[in-house]
Amino acid sequence: MNTRIPHALFALGTAALLAAACTPAPKQTKIADPGTQVSGTVEIWHFFTEREAAAIDTVVKDFESGHPNIKVTIKAGQDDSKMTQAIGAGNGPDIGLSYSTDIVGKFCSSGAWVDLTPYVKRDSVDLNQLNATTRQYTEFGGKRCAMPFLADAYGIFYNKDMFAKAGIAGPPKTLDELTEDAKKLTVKNPDGSLKTVGFLPLFDFYENAAAHLAPAVGAKWLTPDGKSAIGSDPAWKTLLAWQKNLVDWYGYDNLQKFRAGLGDEFSADNAFQKGQVAINVDAEYRLAFVKDQAPNLKYGVAPLPTASASTYGGGYVTGNIMGISKNAKNPEAAWELIKYLTTNDAAITKLAGLLKNVPTTAKSLADPSVAADPDFKVFVDIFASPNSSTTPPSSSGPAYQETFGTFVTNWQAGKVKDLDVGLVEADKQVNSVMTLGG
Amino acid sequence: MTGIRLRRNLTTLSFLAPALIGIAVFFLYPLISAIYFSFTKFDLLSVPQWVGLDNYKRMTDDPFLLQSVRNTLWMVVVFVPVRIIGAIGLSLLLTNLKRGAGFFRTIFYLPALVPPVAATIAFVYLLKPSTGPVNVFLGHLGIEGPLWFNSPVWAKPALVLLGLWAIGDLMVIFLAAVLGVPESLYEAASLDGANAWQKFRSVTLPTIRPVILFAAVTGVIYTLQYFDQAAVAGSIASGQASTGGGISSAFGFPEGSTFTYPLWLYTVGFRYNALGYANALAVVLFVVALAVTVIMLRRAKAFSGEEQ
Amino acid sequence: MTAVLEEAPPVPRKDTQNRARRQNRLAWVAQHSIAIVLVIMFVTPVVYLVLLSLMTSNQALTSDYWPNTWHPENYLRVFQVTPLPRYLLNTVIYAGLATVFTLASSIPAAYALAKLKFRGSNVLFLTVICVMMLPPQVVTVPLYLMWARYGLTGSLWPLIIPTLFGDAFCIFLLRQFLLTIPSEYLDAARVDGCGEWRTLLRVVLPMARPGIAAAGLFQFFFSWNDYYGPLLYTSENENAWTLSLGLASFHSVHHVDWNLVTAATVLAMAPLIVIFFFAQRAFVQGITLTGFKG
Repeated sequence: MNTRIPHALFALGTAALLAAACTPAPKQTKIADPGTQVSGTVEIWHFFTEREAAAIDTVVKDFESGHPNIKVTIKAGQDDSKMTQAIGAGNGPDIGLSYSTDIVGKFCSSGAWVDLTPYVKRDSVDLNQLNATTRQYTEFGGKRCAMPFLADAYGIFYNKDMFAKAGIAGPPKTLDELTEDAKKLTVKNPDGSLKTVGFLPLFDFYENAAAHLAPAVGAKWLTPDGKSAIGSDPAWKTLLAWQKNLVDWYGYDNLQKFRAGLGDEFSADNAFQKGQVAINVDAEYRLAFVKDQAPNLKYGVAPLPTASASTYGGGYVTGNIMGISKNAKNPEAAWELIKYLTTNDAAITKLAGLLKNVPTTAKSLADPSVAADPDFKVFVDIFASPNSSTTPPSSSGPAYQETFGTFVTNWQAGKVKDLDVGLVEADKQVNSVMTLGG
Repeated sequence: MTGIRLRRNLTTLSFLAPALIGIAVFFLYPLISAIYFSFTKFDLLSVPQWVGLDNYKRMTDDPFLLQSVRNTLWMVVVFVPVRIIGAIGLSLLLTNLKRGAGFFRTIFYLPALVPPVAATIAFVYLLKPSTGPVNVFLGHLGIEGPLWFNSPVWAKPALVLLGLWAIGDLMVIFLAAVLGVPESLYEAASLDGANAWQKFRSVTLPTIRPVILFAAVTGVIYTLQYFDQAAVAGSIASGQASTGGGISSAFGFPEGSTFTYPLWLYTVGFRYNALGYANALAVVLFVVALAVTVIMLRRAKAFSGEEQ
Repeated sequence: MTAVLEEAPPVPRKDTQNRARRQNRLAWVAQHSIAIVLVIMFVTPVVYLVLLSLMTSNQALTSDYWPNTWHPENYLRVFQVTPLPRYLLNTVIYAGLATVFTLASSIPAAYALAKLKFRGSNVLFLTVICVMMLPPQVVTVPLYLMWARYGLTGSLWPLIIPTLFGDAFCIFLLRQFLLTIPSEYLDAARVDGCGEWRTLLRVVLPMARPGIAAAGLFQFFFSWNDYYGPLLYTSENENAWTLSLGLASFHSVHHVDWNLVTAATVLAMAPLIVIFFFAQRAFVQGITLTGFKG
């Protein structure tokens, strides 16, 4: 009897395992003929909550009034992980709205999000209306499995009062100017510790990710065949050398000590908003925060300083994306909603106004309401600049960025003795981590 | 089988039946599943692909793995004994406080009721280097407080402090054990002229040994899986926005010092969607935990209640 | 103090008594001082959480610890933003059922492992401990797929049903506690003609009350505060959310209302504090009744 139990358990286990491990094969979705009446219910999952969720609700209601036969159910607070699990288990919403571009690679290559090209062709959607960079981060491996839903553009914010006091006329346009200005704007305490910092060059501070600074030197992440370009692209060396120079001028320990006393990025204690940091890399959503939390701050915005003046005017660009999951119960209605939210200029303009993000179509970008705020216009220009770039999709999501992130953390702490050797090592690590995603 | 033997076996089975089913479905099944997936490349969205020992081979060349192992080992070696000693100390203190014992007991248990994420966030703010209350207080005493969660050297000790603060669960268990030591044994020791410390060593300690063993084994197992507090602390201390999932992409901030093995496992499995490799990491963790536990149980001769 | 007398007094009993009394008093002072210091250290972070809950949202994000303005209406706001009573009901159901089921299934198993001799007892004991060794991130994937296949996701059942089949932590804990009960009591019961079940229910359970109370409290509070379980299985169905999930409603992509989160946390903790305060009195009393040191 004592041996029979283990045998039974084992059999039970294996049977259950085999039953559950086989994921359902992707359904062959048949796409309807053009002009067919579309009706039914559509379920959309997104990650926004509160005010931002309310904004989406409003625009979805507009859609419903224009499409009386379609009813939309919205589930807020669902992140990428939840979507992956739901789709993997054979469930899942009709539409998923992700807050980053990380999952495009995986969802496109595995078919978790269906290829939208047939729908695009059938309805003659003009993809050229969409900004080129947004098109880049919504397709992978030749499949267009997502559409861009509003975007973020990154530039620099600078403190005009502090600039005036230091006698600096305008924002830095090159990395050299940035270094100069940073040094001029830095104030030390009597005991030698840092009181105010012109520019905090640490890579893990607020929005100073390697990805956000890469456009300053035009650094490439991946080679055309999808492998790491970190060791081969000399632009990375330029960026890292420049950064370390500035870190060493401040003193790494001094910077860490200073940084440890700074407030949370999204709190009212934000170091830029409190005047503790004079120049900061940030995106257009920061405008709403400054208006709300530091209304008396005199600030300006500008594109990211670059290594050479000829490539000035851009910055880092990214955005939210939407796709139809392979288990969608009503893909036709789902496509109608996606089409509305991502190509209908009026809807996009309205969303951009409510969420304070950058709209993605040419007409919505040209809308007068968008250009009304001169600061916001700067970000719109950055978004449209040919010198802007984004992080390319990969089947392992953000793995390559995060792996490089740990490298630069070691680099700025002085743990990497030889930069060339280090970059080649980083290449190897990144390539290795990228194969995780297959 | 004779009638008595059969009846006895059936009785035993009746005691064990629910647990046996639980073990089969909620342990053996996931374990077999984990072992199977560890030999595959699996992203949850497509059919798993068999890759043999590739995942295990990758573990020998994975720099993140090495760092995560070091951090987790540090936690096991420091966190577990410190908590056990702290819990025993607290429960002894509580048994000696006659008046207001209920009040003290509730206060000491209170932190264990705070959800771990909220507790970690509170601690990170309290230990904030220049503006947090703790360092401000230390400043009044003329001591320059360390950077706590912002220092690669102090981040893990800060996590140990957090664990000591939330020691309520362990304390209650030891309290029950210490209170359960028969009075008669203490009286016998008094007659022999023993003082308080000797009574502790010769009466209390041996009697609660099964519970100490329990605390040690479960402590090691759970510390090997220590994840939430480390991830949240690193995330909040870095001051960055948490992208969606509540865990920022800063690996084990600062400088990877809070990067534990389960955090790497979670990242690999749920952010990079490489569930095959994640399962391989899990299987290895399981084997290590099993080995450590067997060693501890053997040494304590814990089987068949011999240690009583 | 005593005047020196002609005779050399033997070491007076009063002197030893005084010394003993002084030592006791010193010990008393030392213990209570340590206790008070510890109380301050233990309570401070909790007080901080309460203070956070009374601030404005903007101030809650800073590292200030004293509210500039007091906002007790945050506690009302929490009810407006989320349906807390429903979450509370779900939480009570989940924690209550989980505790009862866990104890019902774990106590017999622990008893068998501690007091019944059978072949494979050691292997089974080790297996029970092994259950705790698989990292939860990895266990959840196949289990989630399994529950999804039975259509039970979107409810709390995937969390409650497993407790009918024992909990490894509780089985281990209870086994160790049962081991501390001298076998003489059980032998006496068996000699009296009690079967194993009656021995367990009539003789052992009363004596094991502190351990059972500890295990029950542990399971109850764990389920009450469980976040990842409900997150995995009920996040798509708001009607099934528990309090811990409700706390997550105050997060958005760029912004967290910490004041509301902490207010909701305090509200969620309050019942637990009350329960603990009464429960711990009960199990200490239980100990005195069984004749052990109390």
